[in-house]
Amino acid sequence: MRSKRNLTSSDEKDLQKRKEDNLVEIEKRIEEAETSSDDSPFVSDFEDSENDDNETLIGDEGSTDESGSQESELSDSEDEDAVQSSDDDEGDDNAVYANDDKDSVEDNNHSSDSEVDEHDNVGVEDNIDGSDDSREIVEESDSSEDEVAPRNTIGDVPLKWYKDEEHIGYDLSGKKIKKKEKTSKLDSFLARTDDAKSWRKIIDEYNDEEVNLTKEEINLIRRMMDSKAPHADFDPHPSYIDWFTWDGAKHPLSNAPEPKRRFIPSKWDAKKVVKYVRAIRSGQIKLDDKPKEEPKFYDLWGEASSADRQGLAYIPAPKPKLPGHEESYNPSLEYIPTQEEINAYQLMFEEDRPKFIPKQYTSLRSVPAYEKAVQETFDRCLDLYLCPRVHKKRINIDPESLKPKLPNPRNLKPYPTTCYLEYRGHKGPVVTISAESTGQWLASGSKDGTVRIWEVETGRCLQIWDIGEPINEVEWNPELPILAVAAGQDVFILKTRCGNDEHQKKIEDLLHVQPQVGADDSDTNESIVNWVQDDTHGGIRLKHFKTVTKVEWHRKGDYLSTLMPSGESRSVLVHQLSKKLTQRIPFKTKGIHVTSAFHPTRSMFFAATKKDVRVYDLLKQKLVKKLEPGVREISSLAIHPGGDNAIVGSKDGKLCWFDMDLSSKPYKVLRCHGKDITSVAYHRSYPLFVSSSDDCTAYVFHGMVYSDLNQNPLIVPLEILRGHSSFDGRGVMDCKFHPRQPWLFTAGADSLIKLYCH
Amino acid sequence: MDIDGEGEGEARQVQVRFVTKLQHPYKVQQTSISIPANLTRFRLSALVNNLLFTTNEDWTTEPFDFLIDGELVRMSLEEFLIAKGISAEKVLEIEYIKAVAPRKQETPSLHDDWVSAVDGSSDGYILTGCYDGFGRIWKAGGVCTHVLDGHSGPLTSVCNLMPKVDSIADQVVATGSKDRTLRLWKFGEEDPIDQPKKIRSVKILRGHTGAVQSIAAIPSSDMLCSGSWDCTINLWNTSTTDTNDSVSVKKRKKEGQDMEALSEGDAITTLVGHTQCISSVVWPQRETIYSGSWDHSIRRWDVETGKDSFNMSCGKAINSLSVGGESSALIAAGGSDPVLRVWDPRKPGTLSPIFQFSSHSSWISSCKWHDKSWYHLVSASFDGKVMLWDLRTAWPLAVIDTHGDKVLCADWWKGDSVISGGADSKLCISSGVPVL
Repeated sequence: MRSKRNLTSSDEKDLQKRKEDNLVEIEKRIEEAETSSDDSPFVSDFEDSENDDNETLIGDEGSTDESGSQESELSDSEDEDAVQSSDDDEGDDNAVYANDDKDSVEDNNHSSDSEVDEHDNVGVEDNIDGSDDSREIVEESDSSEDEVAPRNTIGDVPLKWYKDEEHIGYDLSGKKIKKKEKTSKLDSFLARTDDAKSWRKIIDEYNDEEVNLTKEEINLIRRMMDSKAPHADFDPHPSYIDWFTWDGAKHPLSNAPEPKRRFIPSKWDAKKVVKYVRAIRSGQIKLDDKPKEEPKFYDLWGEASSADRQGLAYIPAPKPKLPGHEESYNPSLEYIPTQEEINAYQLMFEEDRPKFIPKQYTSLRSVPAYEKAVQETFDRCLDLYLCPRVHKKRINIDPESLKPKLPNPRNLKPYPTTCYLEYRGHKGPVVTISAESTGQWLASGSKDGTVRIWEVETGRCLQIWDIGEPINEVEWNPELPILAVAAGQDVFILKTRCGNDEHQKKIEDLLHVQPQVGADDSDTNESIVNWVQDDTHGGIRLKHFKTVTKVEWHRKGDYLSTLMPSGESRSVLVHQLSKKLTQRIPFKTKGIHVTSAFHPTRSMFFAATKKDVRVYDLLKQKLVKKLEPGVREISSLAIHPGGDNAIVGSKDGKLCWFDMDLSSKPYKVLRCHGKDITSVAYHRSYPLFVSSSDDCTAYVFHGMVYSDLNQNPLIVPLEILRGHSSFDGRGVMDCKFHPRQPWLFTAGADSLIKLYCH
Repeated sequence: MDIDGEGEGEARQVQVRFVTKLQHPYKVQQTSISIPANLTRFRLSALVNNLLFTTNEDWTTEPFDFLIDGELVRMSLEEFLIAKGISAEKVLEIEYIKAVAPRKQETPSLHDDWVSAVDGSSDGYILTGCYDGFGRIWKAGGVCTHVLDGHSGPLTSVCNLMPKVDSIADQVVATGSKDRTLRLWKFGEEDPIDQPKKIRSVKILRGHTGAVQSIAAIPSSDMLCSGSWDCTINLWNTSTTDTNDSVSVKKRKKEGQDMEALSEGDAITTLVGHTQCISSVVWPQRETIYSGSWDHSIRRWDVETGKDSFNMSCGKAINSLSVGGESSALIAAGGSDPVLRVWDPRKPGTLSPIFQFSSHSSWISSCKWHDKSWYHLVSASFDGKVMLWDLRTAWPLAVIDTHGDKVLCADWWKGDSVISGGADSKLCISSGVPVL
């Protein structure tokens, strides 16, 4: 064995050279192994570097075997030294061989070679770096496996030396090897495309021949390219086989305690991490490497952002006006003023004159410099500097939320909605209507001078009086079926054929005036009013000295108030039917009276002038309250049956609701009518009130008055009743509720009376 | 192919079988035939007429109405089936009845004033009340035979006390007036004279303090009830023969006239409860009176106790009330709105009407059940129309539009005519209504 090692050591120079390119060696070796099994000649570019080996190795094959085994022997013995266990070399070696023999089955051709290889590979595991050299020697020895006869023998010389020659080198016997004829590139290309396996062909320029790579060879190259071990069977991580046994095998090799660094985190790592964290926090290290997008253009007219400002609230400067079409260098013709217009500018005041006169230029180039540029900039700077600016506070409120929450009109039924009945017959505008307290009859007075009584349920006219003068007011007595009619300067108290016998008898007694009554009155009341029996119409006639516009019965039906707007101090009179007496209101009144009303429950009296409503106490004979609606001209007045609320209609279309306990100012003002309100009315039992107007409409409202004094009245608009047509500028002239049903009568200037039902 | 090609253009076919309860000449063969589904009532009627014509040569055309599952067909057959969810696959049984519509308008009988009340419960004549204060008896053909002269105010209601008695000589009629009285009238022997005979009342019933709005009597009885504007219902004894129980007997001497016995009667009982005008009273059975009032309520009164056993608020002022229909228990009422409502008081716990007919456009002044049919109603309205209704459809069967003004009253006459009086002073008779 020793002698064999000496033989091989003579090739030391070659070995050194091999050491240079390790990878080439490994590849070569594996290629050799493959080719040997395939029997296909594998020639590559690095063949030339092995030339010398080929010679020698081919020369004696047997010696290479020996050197391989000897080499492995050497490495083994070195390992043994390391573990300090001296054993018999031979025996050990034999054991290895025996072991390897079992493993290597496939390669029968050169069993010894591969055996050595395998053995060597096993040994690599426990070898340290130093043993690499020895292994390469072994590889080199078995790389010479070329049995093909004509081989180039030029050795490791550059091939370009033979570039211009006819031959490529010499074979073993020293004969020239001729260059083969080159096929044209086109042909070779075509051949390549035709042949599906052409990619396997490579040209060995050293031997000047084509080599077909086998599948195994390609796999080998692939594995090497993936930087894996070239041989498929090669196991880079074989399990460790401990060949030796000793007494203390179950004890650790070293008795030293485990060092701390094995299980605590490194202090220096921690320091490094802290340093990085600090750098990230302070922004020296940016984690998002996306470059921040810079706006390309500066937005000159954009909203100046005040978010990044600190300190006092920033108020942006007002924006100057943007240039429009007229500032264009070539504006449309309609922007350019004519010469007359320019002349007219001269006559205007300096402030009114337009600052800029548009002018047309052929090109932008010909536009001259703006002569007022400096002046305007200066003015603007002055403006910005001298004018204080404040933030305009805008309150963001949903307009819907400002609407009062009103109940649904559907829940407030019944109320009049539809006109089902019409009372036809009058020849002129119906000025006034009045419903009898049972709701069976309706009286109406018209400008044609007639008073009619209608049957409510059928619309039949029962009775007609022709007074001869335009009727101003009709009013049913609340107790008896008698009618008070104001026409011209007279007030008539008329018997009707309605009512039963008992009533009729009472009426007969009541409406009987002694003919000499005038003499009695003359001394007391200076004959303000004459009570005269009127046989033509059947009733009493009260002769006044001025035009009477309004009559109203007291709730008990005995007293009757009349109103003469131009009667000055005697404008409001109260008549007592049972005693046939007349007296004027016992307190001083101011202004021209428009309308009046009795309080529905107490002995109080409302007198309305154009501006205000005065409330008098009839018992104490003094002024109790003054209501100021603040409207242009009061036209009508109605008192709630409860007596604490009143509505006032005005000639400017406003309807004022007064809560008399609350204030002398209106609780609510409803502006709904476009024209004069002609009449307002409360329903006697239902929580309804209505206003009628000359705009031919009547508005029905829900007006709930609660007995709880803390709760304000609820007013809900319900319905607009249309249907009357306008005549001579007048629309609906009067409206009254049915005393028991939620129905409404309206009297129109179109000489119709309509009944609106629920 | 033919299904695709021709089925598109043509309407779907349904298998139907026509059945009827009518007697012999109206019967068609009970075989099912296939007809297009888009047929309407008119075309169905033409079809049945054609079928009848094939069996009977001298058949005269007769309009028919069609019932499917107890509902009158008022749209095309296809729509009807879809609306009712009836399968068109099975053989459909269509019952046909004679179309309820007036065949003939008689010449109207002219009055001197508005006709406010009409009663057609007696087959022999029509009793009308007029705003001129006279009641009138009309025979068929528009002949006025008697004038009831005595009231001093417009009549509001008239009533036959003995509708079943044939001879007019034994008839007793009652009238209510706005002069707050009721009067009973008797006719003497019938004289064939040209002039209508003026007769005077036999009894005056005083007691109301307001206008009498409505009177009603139970047939073949001597009781009468009346509703008035004084919010009370009075019950009266109507026996005219014995004057013993009447409170006072007055002899009135008239110049140029013979002495006339005029008995006066007082109310037996007064039913108090309504708060407003009682516009309508009905007395269908001996022990119950129904009343409708402007205080938005309909009440049922127990005659024995004088208490109201049933009080229904209906939200509208009631103008007219009628009890009839199925087992004479349904209440139909019209009032101060254009809707004719039908209630079933036997239904517990609900006050909602079971039928609402709303084709009128103004107040309903009068409504009346047909006294034989369960389904038919007549209603009159201030919009000038008289409408015939069937509970089996929501549309009016017929609209009689002969009045030129408000219609104030309407009634059935002889079971096949509709009579109505209105503000145009006319009594209109629409005859030939084949209800049964």
